[in-house]
Amino acid sequence: MGEKITVATQWLESCAGCHMSFLDIDERIVELLKYVELSSSPITDMKHPPEEGVVVGILTGGIGNEDEAHEAKLMRERCKILIAMGDCAVTGGICTMRNFFDKEDVLRRGYIETERTVDGEIPVHEELTPLTDQVSGVGDVVPVDIYLPGCPPSADAIWYVLTELLAGRMPKLEGNVLKYGSDGG
Amino acid sequence: MSEVRLTINGQPTVAQSGQTILEAAQAAGIDIPVLCHHPALSSWGACRMCVVEVKGMRGLQTACTCPVADGMEVQTETESAVAVRKFVLQLLFSERNHYCMFCQMSGDCELQDAAYRYGLDHFTYPRPYQKLNVDASRKYFIMDHNRCILCTRCVRACSEIAANHTLDLRARGADSMIMADLDVPFGESSCVECGTCLQVCPTGALIDARSAYGGREKDVVHTETTCMQCSVGCTLDVVTRYNRLLRVDGVWGSEPNDGLLCVDGRFTPLYEERKRLTSPMVRKDGKLVETGWDEALAAVAAKLKEGGAEGLATCATTNEALGAFAGLLAKAKGEVGLLEPVAPALGYGVTARLSDILDADFIVVAGAQPLDYQRVVGYFIHRAADKGATVAVIADSENSMSKRAAMTVSYAEADKVAKAAAAAKKIVLVYSVGIKGKVIAAFRQLGDRLFALALSPGRNEKGATALGLKPIEPNGAKTQFFLMGEQSEDQGLLAKLNGAYTVVQASYVSALVEKADVVLPAPVWYERTGHVTDYSGTVKPVAEVLPKPATVRDDAEVLAALAAML
Repeated sequence: MGEKITVATQWLESCAGCHMSFLDIDERIVELLKYVELSSSPITDMKHPPEEGVVVGILTGGIGNEDEAHEAKLMRERCKILIAMGDCAVTGGICTMRNFFDKEDVLRRGYIETERTVDGEIPVHEELTPLTDQVSGVGDVVPVDIYLPGCPPSADAIWYVLTELLAGRMPKLEGNVLKYGSDGG
Repeated sequence: MSEVRLTINGQPTVAQSGQTILEAAQAAGIDIPVLCHHPALSSWGACRMCVVEVKGMRGLQTACTCPVADGMEVQTETESAVAVRKFVLQLLFSERNHYCMFCQMSGDCELQDAAYRYGLDHFTYPRPYQKLNVDASRKYFIMDHNRCILCTRCVRACSEIAANHTLDLRARGADSMIMADLDVPFGESSCVECGTCLQVCPTGALIDARSAYGGREKDVVHTETTCMQCSVGCTLDVVTRYNRLLRVDGVWGSEPNDGLLCVDGRFTPLYEERKRLTSPMVRKDGKLVETGWDEALAAVAAKLKEGGAEGLATCATTNEALGAFAGLLAKAKGEVGLLEPVAPALGYGVTARLSDILDADFIVVAGAQPLDYQRVVGYFIHRAADKGATVAVIADSENSMSKRAAMTVSYAEADKVAKAAAAAKKIVLVYSVGIKGKVIAAFRQLGDRLFALALSPGRNEKGATALGLKPIEPNGAKTQFFLMGEQSEDQGLLAKLNGAYTVVQASYVSALVEKADVVLPAPVWYERTGHVTDYSGTVKPVAEVLPKPATVRDDAEVLAALAAML
């Protein structure tokens, strides 16, 4: 293989478990880095995909605020193949629990009404991005090329998707690599 | 029935007329996905997962309802069938909350399995995020409407298997909802908590409060054994993990209950609150103190050697223990018998099996309360009543069977029922110790059209009776040996104690245990090995599901050891 394939990752509204699962490919990461250049990710110095773009963009987490929507759009613009990785990116996941309530009720419950909160207030600051009305999956905001569900997807499923792409094939998710929730682990 | 020849996916298949395409395919080893279908229930054809193409028939057919016909050519995985299944799955996933990551059924869910099979990697339709009720008003299991796909398996299980008709659907279309009675909380409904609905639910909508999140199918151990909570002797599938009881399920197709259990078999034994006896105890200076087996057995053997002992057994143990008990007392030259009364033999008629209830056209319940004490029998009677059988209750006090009975009469009017039954083809007389001589006499004329189902209060009464044990009263012997198993003593027993030297072999602390001079701890139902005899006289195995506490010894083995010491 000649030039390395560039990959960027970003996590949105998520618990970081999907990135943990990515690192769970263990020593296979050494093999992977022979063929792949990890340009930006939450665990590298560069936090956003480079302007010149990458081949593969990976988003984990749902979209629950305007900043996350912006990050998703940025990744879509700068990558050729976009992977929505993990149940939150695929469906909104556990973050959609707040969709059963009004946004204002959720904020009041979280910042004011919690049993151990004293003199709570809903924070307002120019650097705090507004919540969207509902949490959604990445696919509701930008077109997604590959959905990889799981909470988190297993390291083997992540490895399978990346190696299939490196081999020039679109991964076909079935069997042990298609699992929802923690059914794969 | 005649043979029907058809092809499924090009494979020549022989089926029986009257079978469905689904049944024929299953027999031929061809897997058609289902969601609303369950082999123990009537076919419904609602979910459209099982759609197949049949050459010459317009549109797709539901394999679970479409009968086979000669020359039929069926294709189960055509492009259009698969497209419909995927579409149905997408609609199901879009309707309520089917987020697997916090569902206790994830890994064992039939909806999830179907979605895996058809490669659903994301949702294509918006979800409405309706906030539906989670009904936890029952003690043992919970209904989460958010997980429900409205397959109505629970509704059919409730009406067809438990014959209780608590569950139904309300409203139409997207507003449809499973409801109990006229939409009351489940805990306030007519639900009898048999748990059959829980056993057939394909998703996480019905949640067992105890075993939820306790282990997936791949993690658990299944052990088949016989229920020891009443004299029926239902087959149980006990589910455990890490030496912990998780859940009890019925076993479809098993004798005598065919998968149906009651609250006493499925749930209550897992919520036992009595204090367990785990060490032998001997009374010293007026107080019961824990001791080793050697000292306890030596004390009992010494007393038995003095002669004049009486053995009083409940039937709450295995045939082996009852046999060893009878053997021990015989060797000690003492009297032995049962603490519980036994339903008398009629002296006529055919011995009934539970299945006889289902094809009887007249059922008499006399001096028995199956809905309270042998509940599965009560549900079988309700099933027969649903099919049109006449149910008559003979009782002098209130009887819970009366609600669905065509007539309820007093013992004095037993003749009336006998007269009404005279026209029937097959009569089942379900009775217990409450039956009176007048009733027995009234039905004698029915001869072999009458099937007799005797239900005794003792759990393993048939095993005890087969060993020749009969009910006796405490006879004033100077040593009394009580074999109690898991049974707590009847209130009246304590009054009959005469200050004799008292040996109690039991699983739980009770007032009788507290009066004892020697206490021998016994195993509980899931720790036993041996056999019990079911209501029909069939000997069934009792399997050790979990190990006994190290200081508890099997009662049969202890009794044999005692006999060897005499």
